[in-house]
Amino acid sequence: MGLDLSYKGKDFPSFTFEVERGKIKELCMAIGDDNPIFFEKEAARKAGYEDTPAPLTFPTVMNFWGYPEIWERMKDIGIDVQRLLHAKEEYEYLSPIYPGDMITGTVSVDSMRDGAMSMVTFKSTYTREGETVLVAKMTIIIPPVKGDA
Amino acid sequence: MDLNYDSISEGDKIPSITKEPITQTQLVRYSGASGDFNPIHTVPEYAIQAGLEGTIAHGMLVMGILGQMISSWAGIRAVKKYGVSFKGMTKPGEVLTASGEVKKKYEKEGEKLIDCTVKIEDQAGDLKVEGKVTIAVGKAVVIIEAP
Repeated sequence: MGLDLSYKGKDFPSFTFEVERGKIKELCMAIGDDNPIFFEKEAARKAGYEDTPAPLTFPTVMNFWGYPEIWERMKDIGIDVQRLLHAKEEYEYLSPIYPGDMITGTVSVDSMRDGAMSMVTFKSTYTREGETVLVAKMTIIIPPVKGDA
Repeated sequence: MDLNYDSISEGDKIPSITKEPITQTQLVRYSGASGDFNPIHTVPEYAIQAGLEGTIAHGMLVMGILGQMISSWAGIRAVKKYGVSFKGMTKPGEVLTASGEVKKKYEKEGEKLIDCTVKIEDQAGDLKVEGKVTIAVGKAVVIIEAP
């Protein structure tokens, strides 16, 4: 099944995500990261943060909880979601993200390659009050079906 | 704790961390936390049907463990860029170790920066994730010249 290359460069509808303190704790507990800056406001403030900051891989929470439609969008593009593999994940951090922040996210199709090993990179741009706070890129590959040449 | 540019040298090691074995319960927990409910991580029958031996950990969980090592060392605010490539699957029971090394220190656009390579391996030394992180470790001295 081929990819629909007309999606290249396309923006999907923006979404809003409210950063909750509990979601930050929950992610850190799942990772097993017990750094107190993520759990206690006092510890975070002592370390120079306004509040408990979002950990480095928190963008994945904003992506999946903020835009669960991504799975349907992938199917629209022609991606076999049962076979996709996550190849790369990259973040550029422009400003710390804190509980209570209202973040607007926009996912776009940054690059696409169709072929034996198809590859798609999605770019998510996150803003707070109009200022970009984070840019995330996720690259997935769809390996060839076994037996196909 | 903030890192000090002058006391960091190329070749320095980031303090490594070794985790408890990955458990199936942790994968269920990570699914809920992250919102990635792909059953390949939580339902053994589904994973087997997809051609695997059983469930596998979310790549993002492994990246998160590597992130734990980075933020334990450098904090959150100082981290400018963090990116990884996923190299191998992680199964429940495996013991992951995160490690890293300072590769380059330099000044750019008024900031003192370091680039580090980071990786996660299991108890057998098999590579799971490798990546790169750029950390700001202070403001560069800016010399303003008279016109």
